Amino acid sequence: MSAGQTLEASPPLSRLIVRGVGWCGLGLLAVTVLLSDFIARAPAGMADPSAMLNAPSSTHPFGTDLLGRDLMSETLHGLAETGAHALFGALVAIVCGELFGAVAARLPVPLARAIRGVMGVLAAVPALLLTILLIGLTARFFAPLAAGLAAAPLAFVRAFDRVDVDSKHSEYARATGIPATTLLHRDLTYEFREMLGSVAARALAAVTIILSTASFLGFGAEPPARDLGLMIAAAKATYLAAWWTAACPAAALVILVLCARLAAGLDEGEQP
Amino acid sequence: MRSFLARQAVRLVVGVLGAVVVAAVISAIGVPRGHGLWGFLLAVAGRLAHFAQGDLGQSAISGQPAWQELGERIPSTLKLVAEGAGLALVAGVPLGLVAAVGPTRRAIAPLIQIITATPLFCAGLALAYGAVHLLHWPVSVNTPVGAAVSPDEAFEIAALPIITVGFAGAAVVQLALRHSASQASGGAFRNGLKRLGLSAFEIERSFILPRVMAGLVASAGEIMLALLSAAVVAEWVFHRSGAADLFVKAVALADWNMTAIILFMFACLTFLAEFAGRIAAHALASEGAP
Repeated sequence: MSAGQTLEASPPLSRLIVRGVGWCGLGLLAVTVLLSDFIARAPAGMADPSAMLNAPSSTHPFGTDLLGRDLMSETLHGLAETGAHALFGALVAIVCGELFGAVAARLPVPLARAIRGVMGVLAAVPALLLTILLIGLTARFFAPLAAGLAAAPLAFVRAFDRVDVDSKHSEYARATGIPATTLLHRDLTYEFREMLGSVAARALAAVTIILSTASFLGFGAEPPARDLGLMIAAAKATYLAAWWTAACPAAALVILVLCARLAAGLDEGEQP
Repeated sequence: MRSFLARQAVRLVVGVLGAVVVAAVISAIGVPRGHGLWGFLLAVAGRLAHFAQGDLGQSAISGQPAWQELGERIPSTLKLVAEGAGLALVAGVPLGLVAAVGPTRRAIAPLIQIITATPLFCAGLALAYGAVHLLHWPVSVNTPVGAAVSPDEAFEIAALPIITVGFAGAAVVQLALRHSASQASGGAFRNGLKRLGLSAFEIERSFILPRVMAGLVASAGEIMLALLSAAVVAEWVFHRSGAADLFVKAVALADWNMTAIILFMFACLTFLAEFAGRIAAHALASEGAP
């Protein structure tokens, strides 16, 4: 059996099931995040000096950290913080990347190519470094916006390159009397109708990783607010002796990214 | 082929010039300048003029010439990226091929999903945990390990950042390989070649494999981006002194000149990888054309 033959696309049903699992996972995480204040056993940041670095037990299912904070509660609050920020960042990446790319590709060819060139330069810099730069230029409060803007150039390039800029169809359509805005609206609706869910989930996965990594490096959430990246960074000092301090927030982060990747359909050898 | 090469060379030059302008804009943020947009534009023009004369300015942190500081740090990062790239190919190509074959593909798909969903800093910390507890390596993620270590220990300390970068590269390599393999499988020429009497093996070796490898090398720019991002995380987690680590410190201390030059270097590396990858892909694809 050849590699080529075996790499044919999966049956649509199995692909739908995988995506469905991803969306269900994201839905469950969204419900958990929305109810985090009720589910959590303690408010965010509540320390108990008598329970420092306790291993997971019935009292503290995820254990406690160096300050005696219940890690289950902290992970829930951190997940809420990460999820909310990542959602906003993903929205920015979709608008400034995918949507802008799809629109720019339909501008007059010289202008379209000029914009593609500028975005291509930005896309040649790792998104993580762009995020850190934008946060450094502004403030940590703007980390979600920075992560979304940093993810946008790659999304722009991907969306732009999907369109054949040399195609004459818009020219012919305009010659028949269809206004340019109607044509653009129709093209965008056609392009995004099928892909919006996949594009949104892909942006969510990318922004979550960028945002949590920036936080881990000290450029994201600002204490006392803690997202999962900052929780893992704080656990660096203790996790070699108390594994649960990093493992629980890391597991929550991996589950969030995994669900988003599954929902985006990034399992069939799609371009990373 | 000649016109293709010329087009790629133009793309490379335009990309590098664009990166110079971006670097000048970032560098101008740290330069004393007049108020308003015109003041800023004048500062950018000033920085461009200095760059054109080969003057990269000074590091605001150390006061050293920027090129000197970069020269001290960049070899370490380049070595880390090169070693990580080697590991990424060694691990990623077989993984991509195994992940592409029928039943194995289904079996390892969940594992690949989890691996690719793991943020790199989590993977780095997990590697350090395993190295300390299972292999008893002298690794620390909190303080730099002292210089007075035996050659064995030096190898163990150096290995983890390389593995971390290689891990990130391997994830991208296997995805690029699977993507190009799935595209190559859609070629309509396969049945025609069979009718001409070629065996499946011959078709795979002579026509499919070059296309798959062409797809992989065409992703060289994306692989380079992943390796550079990974270098930032690996240098930070394992306290390895390099340009990527310097970038984080430069932004934190508002050293915009150093920040601009490191970003420029990284963008150039990506453009060069893209350029080389496109040419290699073009050559391979021509070889595999039926």
